[in-house]
Amino acid sequence: MIILLDTLLVTLILTGFLLLGSSRLGASIRISALQGIMTGLLPLALEHGDLFSYVSLLGVAVIGLKGYVFPRLLFSALRESDTSREVQPFVGYMASLFFGILFLMGSFWLDTRLNLPVHSGSDLLVPVAFSLMSCGLFLIVARRTAMSQVIGYLVLENGIYCFGLAVVSGMPLLLELGVLMDIFVAVFVMGIAIYHINREFDHIDADRLSALKG
Amino acid sequence: MSAENTLPILILAPLIFGGISLLLRSARGALRFCAAGTLATAALAGITAYNVLRGGPAETANGWLMLDALSAQHLLAMITVFCLSSLYALIYFREEAADGRLTPKMAGRYGGLWFGSLAAMMLVLVSNSLGMMWVGVEASTLMTAFLICIHASPGALEAMWKYLLMCSVGVAVAFTGILLVAAATGPAGLHGMDALLWTTLMEAASRLNPMMLKAGFIFIVIGYGTKAGLAPLHNWLPDAHSQAPAPVSAVFSGFLLNAALYCILRCLPLVEAATGNEGWGRSILVIFGLLSILVAAAFIVMQRDVKRLLAYSSVEHIGIMALGAGIGGAGAAAALFHLINHSICKPIAFFCAGRIGQIYGTHDLPGLTMIIRRAPVWGAGLIISLLALVGVAPFSVFLSEFLVLKAAVDHSLYVVAALFLLGLGVVFIAVLRHIIAMAWKPAEQQAGPVKFSLPEALLIFIPLAIVLLLGMWIPGPLLKILSRAAQVLGGLS
Repeated sequence: MIILLDTLLVTLILTGFLLLGSSRLGASIRISALQGIMTGLLPLALEHGDLFSYVSLLGVAVIGLKGYVFPRLLFSALRESDTSREVQPFVGYMASLFFGILFLMGSFWLDTRLNLPVHSGSDLLVPVAFSLMSCGLFLIVARRTAMSQVIGYLVLENGIYCFGLAVVSGMPLLLELGVLMDIFVAVFVMGIAIYHINREFDHIDADRLSALKG
Repeated sequence: MSAENTLPILILAPLIFGGISLLLRSARGALRFCAAGTLATAALAGITAYNVLRGGPAETANGWLMLDALSAQHLLAMITVFCLSSLYALIYFREEAADGRLTPKMAGRYGGLWFGSLAAMMLVLVSNSLGMMWVGVEASTLMTAFLICIHASPGALEAMWKYLLMCSVGVAVAFTGILLVAAATGPAGLHGMDALLWTTLMEAASRLNPMMLKAGFIFIVIGYGTKAGLAPLHNWLPDAHSQAPAPVSAVFSGFLLNAALYCILRCLPLVEAATGNEGWGRSILVIFGLLSILVAAAFIVMQRDVKRLLAYSSVEHIGIMALGAGIGGAGAAAALFHLINHSICKPIAFFCAGRIGQIYGTHDLPGLTMIIRRAPVWGAGLIISLLALVGVAPFSVFLSEFLVLKAAVDHSLYVVAALFLLGLGVVFIAVLRHIIAMAWKPAEQQAGPVKFSLPEALLIFIPLAIVLLLGMWIPGPLLKILSRAAQVLGGLS
């Protein structure tokens, strides 16, 4: 099991790097879908004893949402706009990758300093969670288009999900479903917002939404 | 009806009303249904809060739902804001509904989102689980996002996107904090759903891991603080408040911010009990509170838009509440009293500013002149509510601000008291300058006064009279509610 788990975690780090280095929005959506599926598989690869049916039910819900529903929503919002790639992000792609490596190193360092009580089988889980969270926040602040910011939000959520798996031993199902529903509605609402922004402004460049000041 | 039975209905009823609103086929009908449904929910919530305040905390649904003095007090403030705003929406949207700018479909959607956000905030208040509280806060962000842009103008869309993204990310950070709190229960041996129930956590507070809890609390303050509008995390707030239609601005300012602050206040006694009541958690709130007051004061000085002015005033008042809760003791009770005063006063100010904006066609302060002559009810209402908000005696806002100041001096926090006074003084002078210009600066072109009706006058002046009355005499039952709620915060014994 530990090999499967570590493979998944390493893939998660790699998808984070891919997102940092990709300029095509369509490709970014696909990569984030892959990342969503990986996070959905994570709890199945962890030790869970007698909770198998509960864990697999939740896993299916996460994979269905993050791997299928979200990408479809985002693709339909993207089709409406003529934007297909991120033009001139605040931080270039090479520099973004460099930041990604820094985040990863920082996450490992933070993990050794914090001494969190970890329930899971792999030592990698907490550093991966931290690095995904920082990647997500970085994507939100360093990219211009609204679409990239939504993808950044999803990466942040994936990171928090990993963190939850690492430090909390089994959350109640009702709560997990509530959280999932909220994230679903968030992405749904953001998708509709992108559609409206595109119709009103003829672009989805969140940086150019800057009329309100002071 | 016992409070145990009515708690689940409080969440379900608005959801059902919201569903019905989506089906309505007339704009005015939808708005009327909105008001009626809100009043019905408020009546039920009032009864529940009364039962809880008389008979003690109520718990139901295996401990998932809980109402105690603190949440009952917040519940009363919330229903006041929602009732006033839903009645005002009938006035605000009257012309738009008549000339077709507000289509039946838009009105139906407005009703659905209105009840949706009511249900979400209700979930925040009646949840015992910190996790479900989070679900409620995030849901309230999503429900209210589209209320900002009922009319999809460029400004409204920009405000909505900023609000959506900043608050979603902020609230996600708060969730990390909640996970850390759950992780802190390790030594106490709590598992599964027990790990996040507030009542269970409070009982086990002395056995929690204090380091982990402290880390969690920092995340929670930053995360929910973004939604509550604590500076320097308040950037979304003036945009959203100024672009939303006035009834929605009133709800944003009157209670949406308080719902997020409530989540921070819930965690405060927990972190204090676990760290040995040294005031570590409270000092964080003092810092954020003071910072909010001072930052808001700086922005109020150079403000040119009346709704943005009111929005920054909300940052200031949320700061005062955080400061009072942070000082603790009598300060906590004063902060909760301030919450009630602000939740009555601020919606009225937004109502008047909204109507004046419709009459003048602008929210720019230099353009708003002779407002009392042009629009007697709304102009006088705006000026009186602004005076009350900056703390002119004998309005109750003055009293609660004075009590916070007194608590600071009693705790020998002289620097805090001085900075607090500085902030209040700057706001007072800056707003007074605007008030004088709005009331007496001669208008460039004269226009006849706008007609008003009796219900409009009653809607504005009854709440203002209550604020005036509360400033001179606090009824015994209200005092009892405040001291009970402050006890939950660990302030009074």
